[in-house]
Order: sequence, then structure tokens, then C-alpha cells
Amino acid sequence: MSDLVLIGLNHRTAEVERRERAALPSADVPGALTELTARPGIQEALILSTCNRVEVVSRVDGADPAFEILESFLAEVSGLPRNELSESLYRYAGSEAVEHVFRVASSLDSMILGEPQILGQVKSAYSLAVETGSSGTLLNNLFQAAFRVAKRVRTETSIGEYSVSVSSAAVELARKVLGNLGRKTILIVGAGEMGENTARYLADDGAGSIYVTNRGAEAAAGLASRFGGIAVPFDQLRYWLAHVDIVIVSTAAPNLIIDRSMVTSALRTRRNRPIVFIDMSVPRNVDPAVSDIENAFCYDIDDLGAVVEANLEERRGAAALAEKLVRQESEAFWARVKSMDAAPMVVEVRRRIEEVCQSELDRYLKRNGPRDPKEMKELEILVSRIAGKMSHPLVTQIKSAHEDPTHERALLTVVSRLFRSHKDPA
Amino acid sequence: MNWALIVTIVFYALALLHSCLGFFRKRQIFVSLALCMVGVGFLFHTVYLVGLGLERRHFPITDLPESLSFFAWSITLTFIAAHIRYRYNVLGAFVLPLVSLLMILSEVAWEENHAIPPLLRSRWLYFHVSVAFLAYAGFFLMFIAALLYLMQEKELKSKRFRFLYFRLPALQACDELMRNSLFVGFVMMSLTIVTGAFWAQQAWGRFWSWDPKETASLVTWSIYLLLVHYRLSGGWRARRAAYVSIAGFVSMIITFGVNAGLHAYL
Repeated sequence: MSDLVLIGLNHRTAEVERRERAALPSADVPGALTELTARPGIQEALILSTCNRVEVVSRVDGADPAFEILESFLAEVSGLPRNELSESLYRYAGSEAVEHVFRVASSLDSMILGEPQILGQVKSAYSLAVETGSSGTLLNNLFQAAFRVAKRVRTETSIGEYSVSVSSAAVELARKVLGNLGRKTILIVGAGEMGENTARYLADDGAGSIYVTNRGAEAAAGLASRFGGIAVPFDQLRYWLAHVDIVIVSTAAPNLIIDRSMVTSALRTRRNRPIVFIDMSVPRNVDPAVSDIENAFCYDIDDLGAVVEANLEERRGAAALAEKLVRQESEAFWARVKSMDAAPMVVEVRRRIEEVCQSELDRYLKRNGPRDPKEMKELEILVSRIAGKMSHPLVTQIKSAHEDPTHERALLTVVSRLFRSHKDPA
Repeated sequence: MNWALIVTIVFYALALLHSCLGFFRKRQIFVSLALCMVGVGFLFHTVYLVGLGLERRHFPITDLPESLSFFAWSITLTFIAAHIRYRYNVLGAFVLPLVSLLMILSEVAWEENHAIPPLLRSRWLYFHVSVAFLAYAGFFLMFIAALLYLMQEKELKSKRFRFLYFRLPALQACDELMRNSLFVGFVMMSLTIVTGAFWAQQAWGRFWSWDPKETASLVTWSIYLLLVHYRLSGGWRARRAAYVSIAGFVSMIITFGVNAGLHAYL
């Protein structure tokens, strides 16, 4: 009789300071795993340690203080005082542990719902466990299933589709206007950090040439060199507006830098090809009235915030669907594990009952002499029917024992004691 | 051949249903299913049209049900082409309602074979009418692209990011579809008018007679000519082009509906 247990802490249960102390560098994980699996009752183990969570998953062998063992282990390796650790821990066993692992891998338990890095982190934690040899049949099956579920969640729900940072929201808006960003040109006005981040996202998205302009030419040149962009003089702003598709403005200037008339004339020169302004400065540097011009699209920092908010809302909608999917998958997985667990006991119970019936039949025949074939057949049917009737409710109970976790172990222990074969030393 | 028509309608209707599901629930699987169904429906539709043509021994566009069905076929053809080219998932939810409606109308208005005017037993019929319907289909697609553009532009300009913002294609993408369907439609319509003129010359001895359909199609053609002109010169793109293309579409519907004078066959 073995069980799956999981303990851990995450961004919801522990402050960042506590998480930092509990975190385990990946170089230390193999050693810790070896030590953990050497402890009594611990048969398989895996450690997941990221900046937002530290978790230990383990297959334990019927040992009741399983949580206790894992907790004292975690206290030792992390150096967190036992009482501090205990109050931050969540503890799951059986199907709840399965569901938790699936939720983590599918990024439903992440601080930023649906963020994609966690799956990679779970995968490397799993390979560490495999390399160390601390992962066996149950954990292998569990994590293979978790990767499959995570993939299903990605493909069947739209949870990962929406950007939830301000910079990526800017990219998303630009893409909603301009379509594919390949070969689109970008002008960065000002050397602010927000502008730089956004430009980096755009460049990652395949945008074409990047031009940088700033009142102070040195800062422009510095920023341009970081992107392989081209620094252009600030007094040529009007000219460049006519030649780029996306303008990112992030300066500390207290006044408007780009006004309506500049945009109108730029659009005339560019024959109305649309242009997107992302104004990340506070106070704003692009006249809000630019929005009223046809083919000009202007977004300030609040608009980007609104995109992020709308995206989070969509993600939450997708997450509800994903949670349902994860729950179904984890129930199915646990039922599979349990029926595999129960299989040897089922075989044993059936074998014992049939054995008893058969030996009684043999004794009867020995005492009363052989029967004619018809009577013989009837006797055999009778005996096998008795065996079937006796074993059926027992088998049903064994197979469904996992549905009632509080009595599962007691039930299975009783059954295995009752049906232990006579040959075994009791 | 009526069974093929029924099968076609069933597949188109199922495709419509799945396109709408894909649109509302944003699930790729529904969109992919819808496309398979459109494909199968289109095959049956083609079988139906060919069978009908062989059975009746004429190009099946000589009465109203035949025309409706052929129109639906042309739209589906351009839809499939547009999908292969652009892969906009939402297109089906907007295009297939008309396709399904046309097919159902065609089935309801079903007529037994009847004699057609000897005038229509001409090789010109094939070319003249097929390019005409392809032009209509191209303009219909442009109309849909214009609607998508205007809706998405409204979302992007109002800065409230809601249902449509998440579902409609990028503005530039709508604009591109508008442009290309305009060019296809315009070339086809020009061909329609030219072939019509030559056919008229052969049949009645005059290239142009100012009958109502000829006049209406000239008006429609002029609207689209204007669009093509401003499109190429870069003055009208996007919103203005979208409005004009809606006007052009209305004019096109009138052109399609006017069947008086020399064109009074239906």
C-alpha cells in the first residue's frame, strides 16, 4: 500500500522573503533527493524549487507520518525554522496531490495565471529527479501525465494567448492595428526604460528597423547600440514620423512633443498608411486628439493598463475551463493508479476463494466417489458460482476503496489479512 | 440531383454552426471542423451543379434557384481561397450565413426543368455569367472585410477592449482582404461587362443598349472603379474605403436584382 503525498509553499502561502530562504538551488537538488529517498518509507521523490514555490512530491510506503518526514526534511534542507515552515505549508495526499501537480504544470497555480515558464521549470525538476534515480513508476507516470495535461490546457483553452504586461500589451495593440509586425519600422522617442522594454518586445516579435531619437543625443546613441538600431537627430522628428509604423514615446518632458498637425502631415506624406503611437510618458507627450485622426492610433499608459485588465479577464475565463479539464484528468489518473495498485490484491482474493471452494469440492468427491459427468458439471458450476458471489463484493470494495480515503488503508489491511494465503507465515 | 443539394445544405449549415461556436468560444477546433465541413459541402455542391447541368443540358444559371445556388457556390469558392490565403478564423461566421441562406432559398424555390430561351444556348453564357458571379462573390467578400474593419476600428479607437477586439483580425489584415477582393471583383466585373457587350453585339447587333441591368452594372462598376483609383493613389484606404465598399455592395445587390429589359429571363 503506497500513497502519493505533496507538501510545499508558494506565493500565496509565503512572503517572498520566506520563499527565498526556502528555495533550493538546482545544484543542491540531487543531493537532497538522494538523502530524502534514504529515509524510511520514502520510495520516490521530486523537488520543485522556483522563485514562487518550493514543493516536495513523494511516494511513501504506508508510513503514516509521511507529511512529518517530508516536513522535517524540508526544514533541514531549507534552514527555515520548523514553526515558520509549518504555517506556510500546504499538504496534499492522493488525488489532491495529483490535481495540484497538474494545476502547477498547467500554470493555473502561477502568480501570473497562464505564464508559460512554469512548465519548463517542472520539466527540469523532473529530469533532475530522473537523473538522480529518485523518480520511479508512480512519479514518472504522474509527471508524464502532467506534461500531457499542460499541453492540452495550452491547446484547448486560450489561457496563454493574452499578454498581461504593459510592454507586451503595447505589442499586442500594435499587432491588432498593423497585423504581422515583420518589416514594420519603429521609432523610439526618449530614452526611458519603459520605451526600451517595449522596443525589446517588438524586436523579439520580428519588427524591422528601429530608430531612436532623444533630446540628448548620447542617450539615443546608447539605446540605439543596444538594439542594433539607428540614432536619429531629435529635430528631424517630423521627417521620421512619416517613415515609421510604430512610435514609442517615453520621455520625461512635461509638454506635448507630438501634436495633431505633425501627425496629419506625416499621414499625408505616408499616403495614409496607418501609424501607431504608444505614449508611455506621464505626463503625456502625444496629443490625445491624435486618436481622432483617421489611420492614426494613439494609446497612453492607461489604455495599455486597460488592455492588460481585459486580457486578465479573458485569462480568468479560460482558466475556469482549464480547471475543469485538470480536475477530470487528475481524477482519471488517480483512478488508474488505484486500480493498478489494487490489481494484485484482487487477484489474490479471487485465487484464495476459488482455492477454498475447489479443495472442498475435491474433498467431497474423494469421500463420496466419482460422479457421472452431468452431475459433475452441475457441482462445478455450483462451486464456481459460490466463489463468484463471495469474491464479487470484496473486489468491488477493493477497487473503490480509494474513493473513501479515510478508511482506505484500514479496509485494504483487513482484506489482505483475511485473505493471506495459508502458506505465508502469518 | 436534389439529394446532393440537401447534403450540401446540411454541410454548410453545420459549418456555419461550428464557425459561430469557434467565433464565440474562441476555440480553434471548431473553426477547423467548420472548414472541413465547408470543404465537403463544396464538393457536394460542385457534384450537384455538374449533375444538374448534365441533366438539364444547360449551364445551371438560367432560373432563380439555379442562380442562387451558383451564387452560393461562387461565394464558397472565394471564401475557401481567402481562407487558404489569409487564415482568418472569423471569416466563416460572417460569410457562411449568406451561403446557407442562398442554398435554402434555392431549395425552397426549386423548379422543375423547363425550356430556356434559345438566346441562352450560347457559349457566351458560360463565360459571361461565371465571371459575373465571381465578381459578385468578390464584392461580397470585400463587403464582409469592410464590416470587420469598421467593427475592429471602432474597438481600437474607443479604447475599450471587449468581445470583438479579441476576436476580429488586425485592421491591416482586414484592409488587405478588402484590397485584394476589390481587385479580383473589379477585374471580374470588367470582364463581365466586356463579354456581355460582345455577346450583345452577336445576339442583338448592338454592344450596349442601356437596358436596366446594363445601366445598374455600369453604376456599380463606376463605384468600384473609384475605389480602385483611390486605393492605388493611396488616398482612400481603411475607413473611407470601407464605407464606399458598402455603398458598392448595395449597388451590386440592385444590379443582381434588376432583371428587366433584355435581361428579363428569370
